Amino acid sequence: MNALTQTQHLLTIVWWMSLGLSILLYIILDGADLGAGVFSLFVSDEDERGAIMSAMAGTWDANETWLIVAGGVLFGTFPFVYGSLFSYLMVPLALALWGIITRAVSLEFRHLAEKRYQRFSDYAFGISSLATTFFGGMAVGATLHGFPLTHVPDQVPTYVGGALRFISPFSVWTGIAAVIAVSLAGGLFVRARFEPEEDIRKHAARWTNYAFYAAIGAVAITIGWSVIIFPWVSGKWFGPYSWVYGIGFLAVLFAIVKMRAASNAERDIAAILWLNAAIALMATGMMWTMYPWMVPDTWTIYAGATPQVSIITFTLAMAGFFPVMLMYNWYQIWVFRARVSKLAAYGH
Amino acid sequence: MSDNSLSVFLSRLDFAWITSFHILYPPLTIGLAVILFFFEWRWVATNDERWYRLARFFEKLFIVNFGAGVATGITMEMAFGILYGPFSQAAGPFFGQVLGYETITAFMYEAGFIGLMIFGWGKISKKMHLFATFNVALSSSFSAMWILVANSWMQTPAGIVFKHGVFQVTDWVAALFNPDVMYGFPHMLVATFELALFFVAGVCAWFVLKRRNVTLFARPLRFALLALVVVAPLQVYLGDGLGATIAHDQPAALAAMEGHYNTYNKDGSVNTGWHILAWPNAKGDGNAFAITIPHVLSLLETHSWNGKVEGLNSIKPQDRPPVVVPFYSFRIMVAAGMAMMLVAFWGGWLALRRRLSADTIAANPWFLRAVTASAFLPYLAVWTGWWTREVARQPWIVYGMMRTSAGVSHMSVPLEIFWLVGYMAFELTVFGGTWYFLAKIIRKGPDLVSPVAQDGHQALGHIEEPAHHEPGKPEYLRPA
Ligand code: HDD
Ligand code: HEM
Ligand code: HEM
Repeated sequence: MNALTQTQHLLTIVWWMSLGLSILLYIILDGADLGAGVFSLFVSDEDERGAIMSAMAGTWDANETWLIVAGGVLFGTFPFVYGSLFSYLMVPLALALWGIITRAVSLEFRHLAEKRYQRFSDYAFGISSLATTFFGGMAVGATLHGFPLTHVPDQVPTYVGGALRFISPFSVWTGIAAVIAVSLAGGLFVRARFEPEEDIRKHAARWTNYAFYAAIGAVAITIGWSVIIFPWVSGKWFGPYSWVYGIGFLAVLFAIVKMRAASNAERDIAAILWLNAAIALMATGMMWTMYPWMVPDTWTIYAGATPQVSIITFTLAMAGFFPVMLMYNWYQIWVFRARVSKLAAYGH
Repeated sequence: MSDNSLSVFLSRLDFAWITSFHILYPPLTIGLAVILFFFEWRWVATNDERWYRLARFFEKLFIVNFGAGVATGITMEMAFGILYGPFSQAAGPFFGQVLGYETITAFMYEAGFIGLMIFGWGKISKKMHLFATFNVALSSSFSAMWILVANSWMQTPAGIVFKHGVFQVTDWVAALFNPDVMYGFPHMLVATFELALFFVAGVCAWFVLKRRNVTLFARPLRFALLALVVVAPLQVYLGDGLGATIAHDQPAALAAMEGHYNTYNKDGSVNTGWHILAWPNAKGDGNAFAITIPHVLSLLETHSWNGKVEGLNSIKPQDRPPVVVPFYSFRIMVAAGMAMMLVAFWGGWLALRRRLSADTIAANPWFLRAVTASAFLPYLAVWTGWWTREVARQPWIVYGMMRTSAGVSHMSVPLEIFWLVGYMAFELTVFGGTWYFLAKIIRKGPDLVSPVAQDGHQALGHIEEPAHHEPGKPEYLRPA
């Protein structure tokens, strides 16, 4: 299906980038919330757990909206990918979705519940944050493997290959790596959101310290593993543009070092921003490596796009709603920026 | 894959289960947002504190319901690709685009204001807050519009060609304004208003019945009932228009909804009989029994005494929808609609006789009980309405163009059961939680003592001083 005009080609690329941006924003914004949820599993003080939830009460819904936006862009612009990829990923997506539902319910309802249910709801919150992250990470790893499609003349290729194909050592690993990564983000989030003299900040500092080294290791392993098993990775990285990737790699290292320094100096916001910079750089590098594949060896960006991409919808979204949404996210974080103390526990 | 295989049936059930639960929450979100706007507007305009108390009280209910709507809605968006992959691909160029617009113009837009509406009290100015509430109401109505555009297009596909296994849009205007959406969207939108009005009326009536805060709740109850005097008949009128559209564009669906098998009677005259009750026979070419009134079917569908309505027997057997579900769910919806109209008229009549003012209202216990019980009727109507619509479209996923069996993902039966069982547990938990907490908030009643939120004192660009507290003394107020 190569029925795209030149303008459409360009639009497709930009849509692909905005899809990447939505996913990236989701990972950055909700990643911190998810990580704080994982962290809360290791917090024994009930008020502290409640306070972690109240620290995200005003923003988690808007953060999650980026996931819905990503889904909307994928279905709207890349329906062929959407329809086959999601059938392939049915099981991990279902599990991640159950995690999301549970998390939403425990967040929304905690302050209404009686004391004895709160403990249960806290536990559900932590476990569901963990599950969402793990299966989300697994879905990403499984996507990198690609999947088989039907080849029936005059029909759109669809997924065939069973429900459990997504399981591989690599996809299990990306699930674990995702948990490690959000643990780091969550630790930094807790440090930034609590008042300086709170005990939980010290707890989070120790946690962040471990998570930091674990995350460095996880990134190294993921990179090494990808180079070994994915020819499209090694082909790009050691190809003619290897110097670009080299510079990118150094930039990531720089961001990580800066993050560490900021974190050690208790400049919490700076630490989060440096972490986000590192994530953004890595995500960009990843997309660049995959280009022109959207799903490696399965769908290119162009084959996956609707033959109807149009400049009108594009302008509507890009000029109208994306910027508004971004500004709003910012405004909201600003309105709710005040640090909390454990006495602010959700449910008092 | 054959139309009747277990695997196709289970995918249909999987999807039906999650949509049926999702649809419990959005109508209240949409309709109640409008009512909240009204309450708040009255407060800003008149400075009457009671409107403020009402707005805050119903907003608490709104939030619980909204959370459930989001939690179940995220699944919906993913479910098309998971359960109906080939359909999503084929219909993507239209259907996916429309859902994409929904994401952008409704969800993004809504997310932009809902946080302000919920958490912004006392932080932003009153006018700004009112504006936020307005935008929440508007954006959630947009989402109903886009969803109905997408779904109506599946009923009456227009503006497309089916080429190389893909629906390609040739005429956007025709596709967006397809015949079914013209009544389908208003019918849905008015359903959300009717549902929310009955919800508010039911809650208020319950308080009055319990003699709690009668002066606070009598007024919104009267307002809601007066609005319903207009809205309830309007919904019946729109439903009638929708029925006429179906009769015109989806004869098979209409025949199934009416259990109407033979276009002509044995003597060659037009079959105009409308069944009150019926059950199809085993062969599926007629009714085993039926209670029938002549001429009513023609009157309803063609608005004439002897108009011809096509029967199921003129449709190829493999293209016939099931009858029992559309037939009975349609009747239940209509009965619920009529019952709500009667309750609304009863209220209107009492209002005319000035028996609904704060000091006289409590003297009508039976009316108040009826109103409280009626709060469940619109939910019933919404469910049965959708079941009618979706089941009567079968065996097509896109009417007349793509069969449901061609649209389902290639899934194994155990996998489909895994999904179904999982979602049974989750949706029921969400439902139970929502119900439990709505009831709890209602039992607790409105908060009449907290200070009224004033214009925002927290100007932008000013960092709040962290609250320093003495141990054990909770001075810090949660910013909610
Ligand atoms: C009558 C209107 C209506 C109908 C028929 C549907 N929805 Fe819905 N949906 C809404 C009206 C709505 C809403 C009022 O806009 C909700 C309810 C609560 C909310 O947050 O938005 C919502 C929530 C909601 C969300 C979460 C949005 C958010 O976080 O703000 C998603 C992803 C969907 N829906 C998707 C769907 C899909 C794919 C449907 C098709 C079967 C569907 N909805 C049927
Ligand atoms: C929210 C209220 C809705 C309810 C209660 C509902 C209910 C149902 C039911 C009962 C079925 C199964 C019918 C059968 O297989 O016999 C079904 C199928 C389906 N519905 Fe809906 N539906 C709703 C909204 C929608 C909307 C808004 C869309 C599209 C935008 C949609 C798209 C579908 C699709 C694709 C199927 C599967 C194919 C099929 O069985 O026709 N539904 N729905
Ligand atoms: C009493 C008169 C009513 C009539 C004649 C009527 C008629 C109809 C018809 C013909 C359909 C379409 C079925 C299809 O597409 O196959 C429908 C669907 C529906 N009805 Fe009604 N209806 C009535 C009352 C109500 C009420 C009171 C509510 C809710 C408060 C309601 C909610 C719905 C919903 C949610 C749908 C599915 C979505 C849609 O098609 O808009 N209806 N109705």
